[in-house]
Amino acid sequence: MERVMECDYPASKKNKVVHPMDCEMKEEPTNAASMNQHSLWSQWQLLDSILPTGGFAHSYGLEAAMQSRMVNNPEELRSFVVQVLENTGSLLLPFVCCANKSPDAATWVKLDQLLEAMLTNEVSRKASMSQGSALLRVAASVFTEIQSLQDLRQTFLGSKIVSFHHAPIFGLICGLVGFDSETTQRAYMFVTMRDVISAATRLNLIGPLAASVLQHQVAEDAERMVQKWKDRGVEEATQTSPLLDALQGCHAYMFSRLFCT
Amino acid sequence: MEAEAAMAAAAAATGAVRVEKVRGRSAVTRCFAKYPLKLIAPSKAGRASSGAAWLYAITYGGGIVSGDIISCTVAVGDGCAAAMTTQASTKVYKAVDSKCSEQVLEARVGEDALFALIPDPVTCFSMARYHQKQVFHVFPNSNLVVVDWFTSGRYESGEKWNFSFYKSINHILLEDQPLFIDSVLLEQSSNFSIADRMQEYNVVAMVILLGPKLKHIQDQMQDEVKKMMSVQLRPPTSAGGRYSTRSQPLHPQRPPIIASCSPFGRMGTGMVARITAVSTESVYSFLRHHLAALEPFLGACPYPAS
Repeated sequence: MERVMECDYPASKKNKVVHPMDCEMKEEPTNAASMNQHSLWSQWQLLDSILPTGGFAHSYGLEAAMQSRMVNNPEELRSFVVQVLENTGSLLLPFVCCANKSPDAATWVKLDQLLEAMLTNEVSRKASMSQGSALLRVAASVFTEIQSLQDLRQTFLGSKIVSFHHAPIFGLICGLVGFDSETTQRAYMFVTMRDVISAATRLNLIGPLAASVLQHQVAEDAERMVQKWKDRGVEEATQTSPLLDALQGCHAYMFSRLFCT
Repeated sequence: MEAEAAMAAAAAATGAVRVEKVRGRSAVTRCFAKYPLKLIAPSKAGRASSGAAWLYAITYGGGIVSGDIISCTVAVGDGCAAAMTTQASTKVYKAVDSKCSEQVLEARVGEDALFALIPDPVTCFSMARYHQKQVFHVFPNSNLVVVDWFTSGRYESGEKWNFSFYKSINHILLEDQPLFIDSVLLEQSSNFSIADRMQEYNVVAMVILLGPKLKHIQDQMQDEVKKMMSVQLRPPTSAGGRYSTRSQPLHPQRPPIIASCSPFGRMGTGMVARITAVSTESVYSFLRHHLAALEPFLGACPYPAS
C-alpha cells in the first residue's frame, strides 16, 4: 500500500475495481485534470509496442497465408489485414467491451471461460492465452498502483479454471488505466493492426515506410469496423472469415517458420 | 412447469425424434415431422448387426423457402447409436422481404451414446438469407460427429457467394457448461464482398469429432491433415520477395483444399477440423475417406460414392 501513497494523485478510490466511473465523478476538477494527465502516461504506455507482451511473436495467420500463396504482394496484404481486423472486431471486441464494462473478477472468469470455448482454433487459442497472460504479468509489474491488478494476478495465478485470454484481460486493464469503453475497443483494433503489419515487415512482404503508409490507410477501414462491432454482447460474437480460420490453424504444419502463430 | 415448457417447445417444433434401446438395438421410438420437414427412418439403412438407427431429413421441394423455420429435436438414449443425414444438398432459395430461412436443431446425446449428424452441404442461392443453430447436449462419455458445411451457391453456373446472409451457430454443452461454441457469419458488406473474402474457394466445412469412441478417428485425421498440408506450405522463393524484378504470376498455385485440425475441451476430448476447398467433390472425398472408420458404429459408411 505504501506505493499507492507515493503517487501524486489520490489513488485510493480510483483503483478499486468496483465503480471506477462513480469515483471519477466525485473528484475535484483540478484533481481530475492532474489525474487525467497522469493516466495519459499509463494509457500510452499500455499501447506502446515496447511493452513486452509478446505481440510480435504472432503473425495472426499471415505467415501461413504467405506460405500457401494467399498473400503475395502489398495489395493482397492489405485485404488480409482488413480481414483480420473484421474478424477481430466481430469475434473479440464483444469480449473486450464486456470485460471493460464490468471489471470484476466474476465477470472476467465467465468471459475467459466462454472465450476458451469459442476459440476453437488451437493456434489462435494459444496465441490468445500467451498474450493475455503476458499482458497481465507485465501490467501488474508496471502499474503497481493498481491494487486490483495485483489481486487478480495473485488470486488466479496457477489457477486451472481460467486461461487468461487476451481480449478480456485487455478490456479489463484498459478500464483500470482510465480508457473509456469506445477507446478501449478502438485500442484493441489498433494493437491488432500494429502487430499484423509489423509481422508483414519481418516477413519481407512490405518495407517499413510502406508499412506505415499502409497502417494509416487501413485506419479508415478499422474505424468502420469499430463502429460496426463495438458495444455488442458476447452472445453476438461470431467469426466472419472462415478462410482465415482454416489458414491460421495451418500454422503448426509449416516446416520452417518465423512466428509462434 | 418444466414439463409444460418442454411440451410447448415440442408443439412448436416441426420435427421430433427419439432413439432408444429396444431388444439390444437402437430403435426410433418417436418420429414426428410436419411441413416443411419430412423425416424418414428406413429400417435397412445400415447393416443390422451395427444396431444403429438412421434418419433422413428431407424438405419438400428439396429446399427451404424464405420465412420457413424448421426446428427439430433429437434425443439419442443411453448406449444408442444414431445417424442423421440428408439425400442431397439443402437449397436455400432467394429471400422475399428479407425474411430468413431458418433451421434449428437441438440434440441430446445420452451416456455412452453416439450421434452422427452427417448432412450434405447447404447451398444458398443468390440473395438468400439463411440462419442455422444447432445445440448438442452431451455427457463426458457421449460421442458426437457433426459435419456442418456450405457452398458458395450454384457456382458451376456462375453463382458464387451471391447470397445475402449466412449464419451458422453450433453449441456443444457438456452438462450445461459451454464446451465448444462456434459461430460463423458471412454477410455482404459494402467494402468487402463475401467473394472478395473467399477468393477462389467455394466450400467451407467443419467436422467435429467428440468422445472416447472416436479417439482413433481423431488421431488419424490429425495426422493425415498435417501431412497433406505440410507439402502445400512453403516459404516463397527469393524471386517472390519485394525486391524481385521479375514479375510473378498474379496467383501462384494455391492449395485446392486448406484444412487444419484443433483439439478442444480442457481434456482434449474433442477435435474440430476446418476445411476450405475449391470444389464440393474434394470435400466429399475428404469426408468419405476420413469418416469411413465410423462404419462399425453405424453399419454403413457416411458419404458413399454414388
